[in-house]
Amino acid sequence: MIRLSSSQRSGLVGAALLAVVLVAIGVLVTYFGSRYQIRLVYSAYVNLIVVLGLQVFMGNARITNLSHSAFMGVGAYAAALCVTPEKIKKISLPEAPWGLAEFSLDPVVAALIAIVVTALLALVLGLFIVRLTSTGATIVTLAVLVIVHAIFLYRTDIFKGNQAFFGIPQVFDLTSVIVIAILTVIACRMFRESRWGIQLRASADDEVGAAAMGVQIYRLRLIAWVLGAVILAVAGICYAYFLGTISARPFYFNHVFLTLAMLILGGMRTVTGAVLGTFLISFGLEGVRYLETGPVFLGIDLPEALGLSGIALGAVIVLTMALRPTGIMGNREIEDLFARQKS
Amino acid sequence: MLIIQDLHVFHGPIEAVHGISLEVPQGKCISLLGPNGAGKTSTISAITGIARSTGEVRFEGRDLSRESVEARIAAGIAVSPEGRRIFSNLTVLENLTLGAALQKNAKEKARDRDHWFSLFPILAERRDQPAGTLSGGEQQMLAIARALMARPRILLLDEPSLGLAPKIVRQIFDLIASLKEQGMTILLVEQNATQALRLADYAYLMSSGRIVAHGTADELGKSDRLMAELTGVA
Amino acid sequence: MEYIIQQVLNALSFGAEYALLALGLAIVFSIMGLVNFAHGEIIAVGGYTMVAFASLSIGNPFIVMGGAVLAAMLASLTLERVAFRPVRKADPTTGLLTAFGVSIVLQNLFLLFVSPRPIAVTSLYFLDWPIEIAGIRLASLQVFEALTTIIVIVALMLFLRRTVLGLAVRAASLDFEMVRLTGIRANRVFAMAFLISGLLAGLACIFIMARRGSVDPHLGFEPVLKAFVACVVGGFGSLPGAVLGGFLLGAVEVAMLVMLPQSLGGMTDAFVFMIVAMILIWRPDGILSPAVEKGDKL
Repeated sequence: MIRLSSSQRSGLVGAALLAVVLVAIGVLVTYFGSRYQIRLVYSAYVNLIVVLGLQVFMGNARITNLSHSAFMGVGAYAAALCVTPEKIKKISLPEAPWGLAEFSLDPVVAALIAIVVTALLALVLGLFIVRLTSTGATIVTLAVLVIVHAIFLYRTDIFKGNQAFFGIPQVFDLTSVIVIAILTVIACRMFRESRWGIQLRASADDEVGAAAMGVQIYRLRLIAWVLGAVILAVAGICYAYFLGTISARPFYFNHVFLTLAMLILGGMRTVTGAVLGTFLISFGLEGVRYLETGPVFLGIDLPEALGLSGIALGAVIVLTMALRPTGIMGNREIEDLFARQKS
Repeated sequence: MLIIQDLHVFHGPIEAVHGISLEVPQGKCISLLGPNGAGKTSTISAITGIARSTGEVRFEGRDLSRESVEARIAAGIAVSPEGRRIFSNLTVLENLTLGAALQKNAKEKARDRDHWFSLFPILAERRDQPAGTLSGGEQQMLAIARALMARPRILLLDEPSLGLAPKIVRQIFDLIASLKEQGMTILLVEQNATQALRLADYAYLMSSGRIVAHGTADELGKSDRLMAELTGVA
Repeated sequence: MEYIIQQVLNALSFGAEYALLALGLAIVFSIMGLVNFAHGEIIAVGGYTMVAFASLSIGNPFIVMGGAVLAAMLASLTLERVAFRPVRKADPTTGLLTAFGVSIVLQNLFLLFVSPRPIAVTSLYFLDWPIEIAGIRLASLQVFEALTTIIVIVALMLFLRRTVLGLAVRAASLDFEMVRLTGIRANRVFAMAFLISGLLAGLACIFIMARRGSVDPHLGFEPVLKAFVACVVGGFGSLPGAVLGGFLLGAVEVAMLVMLPQSLGGMTDAFVFMIVAMILIWRPDGILSPAVEKGDKL
């Protein structure tokens, strides 16, 4: 039996509380939701995993990452390339090099390979990124995003660019993604409360001080960075395994900002913030999108208003930064809310 | 002229100064002494409005405690801050020009500048060099000259002798003495108590955010309290 | 030989545009550490102003150009007031994210209130005609752009060296608090920096629009990304660095176009960003990064 510190114990309690919420949303939508709503909630869960992957690095090391959607894409494409049946690949990727169209693997093996590939890529890039100052690191992550996207677009023989990469077996349903999301929440919380997580957060508050205490900042940042990339790869796999088709477009700037807004609104410092922000924006945006189509509301025929969701998203970021830069949750996790009410 | 009452200064959530009161009368040199971390620089920051504070800062009868930094400077307060903080990427001349930013009269500005140049020939010599290339003592002189370019009614000097060689320190204190003779009102923050007390008409001793003693230079110079606070020997 | 001269001139004219754009970013960054990603949308504001003039059937090119520049300056000033003032003292990350947010809002406002599709603006085509000197082909637009950049650099230098406010802007990049302690109002310094930034965006807008002939909500995205790269390469916050970075980027891009095989054409951006990343790893603060100095206390 591993002995847990008190912060790790409360981390588990918090993760359990979040798990209850995640299961409850899933049960509700499974029994009462339409097919469309199930799809919507599924994508919210995938985004939740992305935001959690983002939180591991951004929240603990406090360095803005803009490349997360690229890592998600790497995971998705790697899994898709491994798992798609040869027959389909022969049609869709007739010019694939290195015998990529000559094999297909079982979904679990494909997923594992995708995770390892993404983690290795992250490790190599991370060796450089973790040594940079905050703005410099952010700029390099931006470069990573642009480069990865350019490769997706350029190597159409492997990735099909902006066209659909189809024929991925649809092996996941809502239940699988909820289970994975819950596991991710637990992993993120355990990392946050681990010795590494605590030291990393301390070093973000006071780099010089933490270094003087013997904290190896670069190593800790690298661990968080790679762990984040693994989670992002998982999110990409979930995305591919549910939809069955992927393309390069969803792994670029729009998705970067969407997920960034989620994390910022909820509060990047906590796992609870990541969960809260994801659901608030996922469901909030759906409401805005409904307005965008120009519905009849209270007897008034509203005009079509494309761009409303984008405005809402941007406004959320600007307002959060101006009014509450640490997001809704600030430094509090879910169990802190209950603890305060008790006392 | 400058009256401070029940001043509390905060750095974020931390209270650095716990309700001090002091007075700087017109034409006098008042010294604020105390060891490192006593809250001297915090007090200066509160007077200029840089640090958040509660309590009263009254200057020539006017309550400045709710005014912006810029308004306080415009009222006639000038500061040569701790660490000098000259604009090292600007030339010596440009530093002085910025010091006189609020002065409208170009002729007066030129006259002031020439006056300070004649007093500090080394600055005149290096007028077009980046201020960052000056030595520590020259930078300190530039910082004081920059503050004086604003033609202030009170001059706040924060640790002007910090980190300088004894010979330079003497020069700086000679300069302060001559400023005082010309009638400048001065609030001098120092750790170098001996030198400061030689100049000051009246002195306050701070420790841990409070004023623990005050009196004329003679009175304070003789007190054991001063030595105890400054040397840490009880 | 002529081919080389041709390409060098091309690189210079690319570089001039990037320098213009990068200066706009650098001047704001230098005083408040803000990477203003909404700079691209300021350019788009200029573009849509031209559309507005066209719909009012005002064709006088000087009114159109002047109006666009003025609109860009106003927009920049407004953003400072509305969006960036609340995060003035915040850390760079907060500012960067705010700028992203502002950029998204503006893009979508164009989308919502104007159109998601490109709108043609033909009033500036007259600026562009081919010139041939000694066998070297140039576009008049390239010449105008290079001239404008030179004039801007000279004017900016005069402003920064000869005026009190200009000195304050330079000093503020080092120690903003000390600038306030000389009595110069912080709001004026910020407003001035954003005004200049808007002016530069407006000027860049004229050339971008004259070349593209149309405006869409994403008009500013590509240019600001390039400007950003130029700033990074040159050293963020350093104005000479921004100019240097702009010209370097122009040279790299032309070199890429010349040297990369046709089949790799789509990868130009990737290579450019790769170079940026490598420069940052080599020199984390850029080539001409300004010295960072801070007082011991406060």
